[in-house]
Amino acid sequence: MTSTDVSFELITALLILGGAVLALIRAVKGPTTYDRVLAVNVFGTKTVIILALLGYIGNRSGFLDIAVLYALVNFLGTVALLRFVESRRFFQ
Amino acid sequence: MSDSVVLRTIGGMLFPYILVYGLYVQMHGEIGPGGGFQAGVLVAAAFILHALLFGKELTDRLLPTWLVDLAMSLGVLLYIGVGILGLVKGRYFLDYSVLDPTHPAHAEALGMTLVEAGVGLTVASVILTMVRKVNGESS
Repeated sequence: MTSTDVSFELITALLILGGAVLALIRAVKGPTTYDRVLAVNVFGTKTVIILALLGYIGNRSGFLDIAVLYALVNFLGTVALLRFVESRRFFQ
Repeated sequence: MSDSVVLRTIGGMLFPYILVYGLYVQMHGEIGPGGGFQAGVLVAAAFILHALLFGKELTDRLLPTWLVDLAMSLGVLLYIGVGILGLVKGRYFLDYSVLDPTHPAHAEALGMTLVEAGVGLTVASVILTMVRKVNGESS
């Protein structure tokens, strides 16, 4: 049945959204900078999965493109943030 | 962190993929999500990642500053050139139909591709230059 499938995907997306909220709380509260960086990275990964799931629910293949893009840029952002925390400048 | 083998290996593997993905967004922008601006940002992101992982000198050797400056003006020139071509042929500014008068659909596709290529070139080089300036490098 199609409606059951759609609701199943939607529940998965909502659960992952709950996990993203938990990661966001850690990003705000985190005692050290590395907790925050890790939490932001986890949040980005969850965003990628939610984008892919929403693309599947709405039957739009364009969402997959955005998900791949987000995964690539998420890695770049984490590297840049860590480099800035380490040496207070982006490039050597 | 600058000596991390894992980061250098993963980043070196990812760099060409981000570039190819930027080209995909550029080419596919008319029928999917994306376009010239997004493709330019992606290409710039690839070079920023390269500079973050391998140092600025190596990136400057890969993509010299004069080439970035040239691409910045070349993109604007491409956009304006397509627009002015319509004026020169006696039509409106950015009138694509002058590119191929016998086939308007082909002319529109060609014009859009050229304009988007100009936007992509300019955005990529402008963002690279902005990141350089933010990092405190004098021209």
